[in-house]
Amino acid sequence: MIRSGRTDLPLSRDPSVRLVPWIIGLMTYLACLMLAGSLLLSEMLGQWTNGLSGTVTVQVLPQEQEAPELLNERVEKLVRILERTDGIDEVRAIPLEEIAALLEPWVGGTASLDALPLPRLIDMRLNVAAPPPMGELKTMLSNADPGALLDDHGIWQDQLADLVIALELVAGFIVLLVGLATIGIVIFATRSGMAAHQDVIEVLHLIGAEDGYVARQFQNLALTQGLRGGIIGIAMGAATIWGLGYAADHIDSSILPQVKLLAWHWVVLASLPAVTALIARSTARRTVVRSLTRMV
Amino acid sequence: MRYGTGPEVLREVTCTLKPGSFHFLTGRSGAGKSSLLKLMYLAHRPSRGLVTLFDEDIATLPRQRLPFLRRRVGVVFQEFRLLNHLSAFDNVALPLRVAGVKEGTIRKHVDELLAWTGLGDHTEARPPTLSGGQQQRVAIARALISRPDLLLADEPTGNVDDALGVRLLYLFEELNRMGTTVVIATHSESLVSRFKKPILHLEDGVLIHHDRVEAKDGTADPRDPRKQFGRGTKQ
Ligand SMILES: Nc1ncnc2c1ncn2[C@@H]1O[C@H](COP(=O)(O)OP(=O)(O)O)[C@@H](O)[C@H]1O
Ligand SMILES: [Mg+2]
Repeated sequence: MIRSGRTDLPLSRDPSVRLVPWIIGLMTYLACLMLAGSLLLSEMLGQWTNGLSGTVTVQVLPQEQEAPELLNERVEKLVRILERTDGIDEVRAIPLEEIAALLEPWVGGTASLDALPLPRLIDMRLNVAAPPPMGELKTMLSNADPGALLDDHGIWQDQLADLVIALELVAGFIVLLVGLATIGIVIFATRSGMAAHQDVIEVLHLIGAEDGYVARQFQNLALTQGLRGGIIGIAMGAATIWGLGYAADHIDSSILPQVKLLAWHWVVLASLPAVTALIARSTARRTVVRSLTRMV
Repeated sequence: MRYGTGPEVLREVTCTLKPGSFHFLTGRSGAGKSSLLKLMYLAHRPSRGLVTLFDEDIATLPRQRLPFLRRRVGVVFQEFRLLNHLSAFDNVALPLRVAGVKEGTIRKHVDELLAWTGLGDHTEARPPTLSGGQQQRVAIARALISRPDLLLADEPTGNVDDALGVRLLYLFEELNRMGTTVVIATHSESLVSRFKKPILHLEDGVLIHHDRVEAKDGTADPRDPRKQFGRGTKQ
């Protein structure tokens, strides 16, 4: 990186130099979309696993001819157990009046409510960061009270998780391919640059340049090309993600889960140009040094 | 030595250049003069035989040490091999930059040398805009900038008129007097007869000595060979 402002090889005038950042840009764009997609997917999966809004409801079914006091006791016992459980931030037994109010449109009036065997509801707000495992929670509840029911999304959640993992593997594989393609482009560009300037390289070599000196000329160019390409790619990627986000905001949001890229996701994506630049730089260096060792 | 799988272009070459000596390397075109110089400036390895340069055996020296030996050898190539996209200044500065010399030192030395070679007004000119003689001076300045112990020139008078050729040889003689070992490949008989110097004559890859002025060079210590070509044969 010494004297990066001065170069002995007129590499920046080569016709391929203008094209390479755009190809790298395209590759970075693909990588950016794949990464953003898989980050969103895992975010989405996380939210589904936690229940859409992070709240879960337990139904406590009354037994036949059960006195309201006994049902109240069962509810209170469950509330105490749930309050002691890790991963649950808040537990609230919904008062009978609220349930009655919910049912009022259907039943009409409040007079006959006492006569109906209404199930009782307990709302829980889960700790989104560390939710309790749903399976264990379910077993615990039915052990404590056979009449307590937790909404069961378990099976389709597992299948969804498998699907998300498969999609993420595909995305990861594509990112890998895109990375290999980028390396291929840099190797190709470096080799053609070396061929175009073989005479200059030979003179440098004969006046006592070490391999690293010659390599530096190519690796500095590759670094800036990788950086430029990376910035082009991430800019297009960010525009696409924002565009899709904008479109999603204007669709009925009750269908789509509300997922947004988090701050650290953006940090990961923003680091792509630096990663591309470093990959390009070390690829160029290896390419030059390997081919120079063929010279005496 | 041989090029690739071609025939051996140098077969029987045995010689030792004493430090501070001055030699002409003569021979018909195609006799192997350039090839012998290539061995000396480490552009080629011998396919067999022994080459030692500054007491180092080229065959056993690790590759990464070769650049440091090359920096002690100044070469004026037959076709100059200047970098056309760089100014005269940058061309001459190249050996110092390659060696990692500080930019301030480089500016001082290069400006001095360019002024000395009469190119003070052309430091920013690119080689294609210079005349053949001026290009040659740039090439010589590049060979001299790092004060080499060994100066090699391949047909330096081939591209210039006789008067200039003679002036050039006085310059090389002057450098030799200051301690630089000099080898000049040429096929110009007139120059060789004018400057009474020892001759290494090549004929179809075989070296024949004509040490015309032995007395003059007898001062050098034969036990301290700066440069040796082969004990036995080198090819
Ligand atoms: N790069 C090369 N590849 C193959 N053969 C070469 C090469 N350079 C020179 N030769 C051959 O080596 C022989 C010696 O050439 P050279 O050393 O250039 O002679 P001189 O400099 O005395 O004219 C010639 O036969 C020439 O054809
Ligand atoms: Mg020749």
